[in-house]
Amino acid sequence: MRLQFVVTEVLQGLRRNVSMVISVVLVTFVSLTFVGSAALLQTQVDKLKDDWYDLVEVSVFLCPNGSTAPTCAAGEATEEQIDALRTVIDTELADVVAQTYLETKADAFAAFSERYPDGYQGTQLTEDDMQASFRLKLVDPEQYQVVADVLTGREGVEVVEDQRAIFQPLFLALNRASLLAAGLAGVMLLAAVLLITTTIRLSAMSRRRETGIMRLVGASNLFVQLPFLLEGAIAAVVGAVLAVGGLWLGVKYFVTDWLQQSVNWVAYVTVGDVLLVAPLLIGIAVALAVVSSVVTLNRYTRV
Amino acid sequence: MIRFENVEKVYARGARPALDGVTVDVARGEFVFLVGASGSGKSTFLRLVLREERPTAGRVYVAGRDLSTISSWKVPSLRRSIGVVFQDFRLLPNKTVYENVAFALQVIGRPRHVIKTTVPEVLEMVGLDGKEKRRPHELSGGEQQRVAIARAFVNRPQILLADEPTGNLDPTTSLGIMRLLDRINRTGTTVVMATHDDEIVNEMRKRVVELKTGTVVRDEAVGSYGERESILPTIGGTPVLDAPGRNQPAIRVTPEPADLEAERAAEEAAERAAAEHAGPLVPVPAEPPVRTRRAAAAARRYPADDVVQQVLAENSRARAGREG
Ligand SMILES: Nc1ncnc2c1ncn2[C@@H]1O[C@H](COP(=O)(O)OP(=O)(O)OP(=O)(O)O)[C@@H](O)[C@H]1O
Ligand SMILES: [Mg+2]
Repeated sequence: MRLQFVVTEVLQGLRRNVSMVISVVLVTFVSLTFVGSAALLQTQVDKLKDDWYDLVEVSVFLCPNGSTAPTCAAGEATEEQIDALRTVIDTELADVVAQTYLETKADAFAAFSERYPDGYQGTQLTEDDMQASFRLKLVDPEQYQVVADVLTGREGVEVVEDQRAIFQPLFLALNRASLLAAGLAGVMLLAAVLLITTTIRLSAMSRRRETGIMRLVGASNLFVQLPFLLEGAIAAVVGAVLAVGGLWLGVKYFVTDWLQQSVNWVAYVTVGDVLLVAPLLIGIAVALAVVSSVVTLNRYTRV
Repeated sequence: MIRFENVEKVYARGARPALDGVTVDVARGEFVFLVGASGSGKSTFLRLVLREERPTAGRVYVAGRDLSTISSWKVPSLRRSIGVVFQDFRLLPNKTVYENVAFALQVIGRPRHVIKTTVPEVLEMVGLDGKEKRRPHELSGGEQQRVAIARAFVNRPQILLADEPTGNLDPTTSLGIMRLLDRINRTGTTVVMATHDDEIVNEMRKRVVELKTGTVVRDEAVGSYGERESILPTIGGTPVLDAPGRNQPAIRVTPEPADLEAERAAEEAAERAAAEHAGPLVPVPAEPPVRTRRAAAAARRYPADDVVQQVLAENSRARAGREG
């Protein structure tokens, strides 16, 4: 009886102000799409980091002949300098560095020749044009700075380079996009709260007669307020479901079916990730509706 | 049942107290008229009983509960033991008579089978049998007030509050409403009624509490309306108002036929109830067997309501006695 009554009331309320309900649905849809996009962008960034940071290394370039760097005044790095560096890496940086690999000029030339068998931009290079380096794989790629601090300025070291730097612009762009989405989401969420508040207030006012009688005959506060609360929550959840649907379509057609086909060496977000974000979005929708209705209803239908 | 102890009520924007040191004790089953000029605090009194307002000083006890300390989540349960009727009926225009009455039970979570039996019963009692499907705008004022009373009484409250229930009705129709309230009072329900209707107060010969600018200036066990008493000749009326328009036929407005019909229907319901309880004592009019079964079933299911039936029976016996 109770349930059926509440359901009827809710349906009546939804029918009574259809246009407001639709606007609540749309605003939550758009705002939660932004929230979801921000979350998916973050997921994408994390995936890329996971994938790529495994591959990247820190290169410690050793002094070649004729370098102008102050640490290379003595000319090409000597065996002693290289041994000294290796000792430093094995002791001082033992916790940070997972693997050390010395790439000699010969190794570098071999790799180069394999990559450019016909010479580089028209010139045939020799082994002496190559530069020896230590390739360090770090336990945590984010700790590049520690390595740089320890090794930069040592005798025989020309420069310490972090391969991660290549990816930085991409990550920066993705992070900014995700921030932008989050910012827009914030604005839209505010709009959603205000709209839900207004909708519930209108609904409560249009049913003041009913709620007045309910209070008089002793209906409990929850019972009086539940239909309004559900009305807001239903509209918001429908918006959230639409947002999940939109993101799902977006990821499926834009990422999985298109990006993945054209640039396939990158790990992309999948529709599975969208489903992981879905509970978050629906949770936000419910929270929005409940908070705005409780605030409004306490003002308009209190016993 | 209701006790006011030195109650003072000053509204937030009120210049003077709406009630000022009011001490009144209403016993269980009493019928009390609240009279007094406009603004004397009658409605405020009723709102305090309902705990729509809280006293600024003093204590209000209703049905054994101290309303000055009751927590707000207990207020609904308090209100379930109080029925209220207003001058403007306050019916829901888009619901039928039946739905209006059922609404009061639905919103307090009564199960469907209870509603199905209780609502027709109470509609029959107020004389609206057969009009269940009408909407409020298809009813006369008197009938609308009957619906409102049915809604207030359907949960069998211990207390019925009425704020000028006859304020919008012609004298004859008012009398019908008063008869109904009297009947309800005889089921053991405490009735407190605020009114400006001197005729009714004088005829009913009930307890009268008069308020004047928020203080009790008179409290008589068998009172009359007051100031206008000298103007109106004393009526040797009966406590039971069973003869509509008997004393002042000349000044009666012609009542709505529908109201009279409702009145008759209520009477018949009372008679039928009487027939079932008193058996051979009262001549039983021929009646459709369906109805008997329903009433009998209702009586079986709600032994507590026997008191209602008994009163209805008593009422019609008295009438039969007078007529016969
Ligand atoms: N909500 C309110 N805020 C401020 N003052 C109020 C409020 N309600 C009533 N009053 C004042 O309290 C006093 C008593 O009002 P109340 O409504 O109880 O009178 P009443 O006896 O019911 O009058 P009437 O016979 O006209 O219905 C009046 O002076 C009125 O102006
Ligand atoms: Mg009043």
